[in-house]
Amino acid sequence: MTTALITGATSGIGLEFARQLGARGHDLVLVALEADRLEQLRGEFTEAYGVRVETLRVDLSVRAEVERVADRARTVDVLVNNAGFGLRKWFLENERAAEEALLDVLCRAVLVVSHAAGRGMRERGRGTIINVASAAGWVAGGTYSAAKSWVIAFSESLAAETAGTGVTVTVVCPGFVRTEFHERSGISVDKLPERMWLDAPRVVRAALADAGKGKVISVPGRIYQGLVVLARVAPRRFVRSGGALTKHRPPLR
Amino acid sequence: MSTALVTGATSGIGLEFARQLAARGNTVVLVARTEARLSEVAAEIEAAHGVRAEVLVADLADRTDVDRVAERARSADTVVNNAGFGMRRRFLDNDLAVEEEMFDVMCRAVLVICHAAGRAMKERGRGQIINVSSVAGWLTSGTYSADKSWVTVFSESLSGELAASGVRITALCPGFVRTEFHGRADISTAAIPDRAWLDAREVVRGCLRDADKQKVLSVPGVLYKGVALAARVAPRRLVRRSGGAVARARQSS
Repeated sequence: MTTALITGATSGIGLEFARQLGARGHDLVLVALEADRLEQLRGEFTEAYGVRVETLRVDLSVRAEVERVADRARTVDVLVNNAGFGLRKWFLENERAAEEALLDVLCRAVLVVSHAAGRGMRERGRGTIINVASAAGWVAGGTYSAAKSWVIAFSESLAAETAGTGVTVTVVCPGFVRTEFHERSGISVDKLPERMWLDAPRVVRAALADAGKGKVISVPGRIYQGLVVLARVAPRRFVRSGGALTKHRPPLR
Repeated sequence: MSTALVTGATSGIGLEFARQLAARGNTVVLVARTEARLSEVAAEIEAAHGVRAEVLVADLADRTDVDRVAERARSADTVVNNAGFGMRRRFLDNDLAVEEEMFDVMCRAVLVICHAAGRAMKERGRGQIINVSSVAGWLTSGTYSADKSWVTVFSESLSGELAASGVRITALCPGFVRTEFHGRADISTAAIPDRAWLDAREVVRGCLRDADKQKVLSVPGVLYKGVALAARVAPRRLVRRSGGAVARARQSS
């Protein structure tokens, strides 16, 4: 019996990972902030997939709580570092505490949990780590981009480090996905054309297929595969904050 | 009279920044961990350039110390976030505490200090921030690459955010520079050819010139301009393969 631990498992991409991994017969460890929602999903998944479901209510911006997740992650077969959020305002307009929380959840928690899980997996000679980054990590649209570029470089490096050990590392770089993410962050996405939207089930199906093949970078959707290539080779001034990239933020003052 | 604050100012690139900024007539605020060494450097700079050199003893892995530096950075006209270090061992072989210390010094401290300095500079309508990153940020040689990728993208984003404000942001992305950096980290440099080494004085001179010209990225040397370009256009698979080779070479003694 194999176990999969998913952070940010109560909504969006994380919830979809939990569903699809449950449907594949993995026991689940759901990590999230909302106790009610965790409890509800535990009942739902136990019934729907006949797997064992554990829940961990933690705030990943609190270092001591990350430790609890890391401890549990030591013995899992599949780790999905998915938890994250966005900030609507510009870096200097945001409270510093909010920016530090973003860095802690998006980067530090991934560092700490991957260290514990990666060591356990390497010792057992098998395991799958999936880190959810973003296509935003290939551009320079703010601290979210910076954090996601960290996740991409971290994952690629860890993939190289674990090559040949039976442990695979895959980093998922989706574009806009229909979830509660944007509403929660207060990010306006009304003007985004229909064809730019991805749906979470498809993103996760592609991610699991890519992870199964040992692919390191998973970019779902043709449009975004093209955009990522463009973002990498374009002159950097075209992919910096302030232009078309950051239209969802308030106007710069 | 303008003031320049430099972190990691007692050796390598940081020391060179302190010297050259003092030579330009700035009062310098030297930030580092060791008081004795700081006083030595301060005396040397005051004697050589006839400017005031202030010392600020701080461990940038310590969150409270970072706040003290951020507080001082508010009234500086130039801030150079340079402090950092490398590690010989790979991520899973390293102690987590050391990995977090590196993350705290190279990412969190930069975030906190830039937030304080950036806000104050924006209000005054002028100022200059130089973040010392690395070409490694475009490669995949471990958490050092991930941290430097964060620094580069963070700096690019902040430069976009501050484009119209009179505040300039530059990320310095050097390759191998002859400093104590590698010896301290016990990183083997035997496999690095002579022509790949940069001189700290040249690197800093070029960076200050680039910052004056409001260039966002400063990549010293034709060789590393080529590396930076190649890292962006090459398939990531090849980038990872070379990143892995670099990581292995570092460990060979």
